[in-house]
Formats: sequence, structure tokens, C-alpha cells
Amino acid sequence: MDATERRDMLKNVQQADFVVVELTLYTNTHPDDQEALTQWRLAIKEAASLRKMYEKRFGPLSLHSIPSEQAIDTGWRWNQAPWPWQM
Amino acid sequence: MWVYEKKLLYPVEVKECNPKLARYIAEQYGGADGELAAALRYMNQRYTVPDKVIGVLNDIATEEFSHLEMLATMIYKLTKDATPEQLEEAGLGAHYVNHGHALFYENAGGVPFTTTYIQAKGDPIADLYEDIAAEEKARATYQWIINVSDDAWINDSLKFLRERENVHSLRFREAVEVLKDERDRKKIF
Repeated sequence: MDATERRDMLKNVQQADFVVVELTLYTNTHPDDQEALTQWRLAIKEAASLRKMYEKRFGPLSLHSIPSEQAIDTGWRWNQAPWPWQM
Repeated sequence: MWVYEKKLLYPVEVKECNPKLARYIAEQYGGADGELAAALRYMNQRYTVPDKVIGVLNDIATEEFSHLEMLATMIYKLTKDATPEQLEEAGLGAHYVNHGHALFYENAGGVPFTTTYIQAKGDPIADLYEDIAAEEKARATYQWIINVSDDAWINDSLKFLRERENVHSLRFREAVEVLKDERDRKKIF
């Protein structure tokens, strides 16, 4: 059950991060599109919030995030499976 | 610099061993129009293009590396449980005797990756036209792989990647227009 929950929460992060990727590419060639720039800022905010929720339980996805007490208590280490190609 | 993210850009689900499909996917891994070629090409071209289009090359190059990781995940998972006999049947006998179960940057025919696949001309318009062509060729390759694959899960990920090629092609076309506008503005003054 934990694995399914983890996968679902990670999918939310993947979705939100992808919106940022897509809007970044778009705004690169449409620098004056104010609506897109607003969407881009909101997307970054949304992605950060979903990432925080995931990382709090399952540990950092990158070393830009501070490991939560909860993650450290449950034995989280950076060098720990599963890596993305093992999930 | 780059920071590693412990996740894939888009999920890759592999339900069964299929070394033959892995071999076909290698075309996009280490082939002429593949993700490695794309990533290295754009990453290298970004130094000698006007500031207005550096972001396009930088960010698409970065995304290509995440595509490369998705393909590696597919190839790894599709082959990890294959016996030497199964690999041989799939046309990966020569791969196996050289690399075992390891991944290698090669195309579907087993030809190793070479930087002669890519160019950096030092002429932004020439480079961007090459990049548009690269995206269109990659899109076509994904379609040909999907056409010979009956794995619905893998096809879902391949379709995502195919669509990304479309978006990248569009962004490169827009980058060409950005440069043309700039050039025309200079002529007026």
C-alpha cells in the first residue's frame, strides 16, 4: 500500500514539474505573453508544494531539499534504492 | 551545473521482458537521431547562439537528458531478466558477448554512437535548422518504434516522447523567427 501511495504521490510531482518544463520552454520564445508568465509562476509554486508533500514522507528528490525529521527517522538515505529505473 | 532529481520525467512501466523491443528502442538511445545526439548537439550549440535563444537550447538539451534516462529505464527493464538465449533470439547476441546485460550507446543495428551524427556550425540559423530536422527525425523514429511494438505500457511512454519532439520542433521554429526579427530590425537602423 505504501508503494502505491508513493507512486501516486510521485506522479503528482512529475505532473506538476512537467507543467513547469513546458511553460519554461514556451515562455523562452514568448517572453511577452503575460498570461503564460503568470501560469508559469503559479506552476512553480504548485510544483514546490507537491514536492514538499512527497519529500516530507519519502525523503528528498534532490539535494536542494532539506531532509525532514520524518524521513531521517524512517532511515532515509540519499544512496538508497529504489532509484528511478528500479521503481 | 546540474542537479540530479531522483525521479523520471514521465513514468515508465515495464510489465514483461522483451529484449527485441529494447533493441528497437536503442535507435533512440544511441542512434543518429536519438536523445543522446540531441542532448549533446544542443548543449554544445548554446555557446555560440544569440542570447535570445540560449534558453531554448539550454532547456531543451536538459530535457533530452531526462528522455535519455527514460529510454535507459525501458531498455534496462526490458532486458534485465532475459537469458543469453533470449537475447540472442532478439538479435542481441553480439551485444551480450561485448556488454553482458549492460546498456551501451548504440543504435538498433548495434552501431556505436559517434559525434559525427551531430554538427555545430557556428551559424545560428544553420544550427537551428539542423535542430528542427533532428526533432522531426526523432518524432518519425518514435512512430516507427510504436508501429512495431504491441506493448501498451511502453507505447504510452513512447507517445509522450513523440509529442515532446513536436513541441521542441515548434520551439526551435519560433527561435528561428526570433532571430529573423532581430536581423530585420538591425537592417532598419
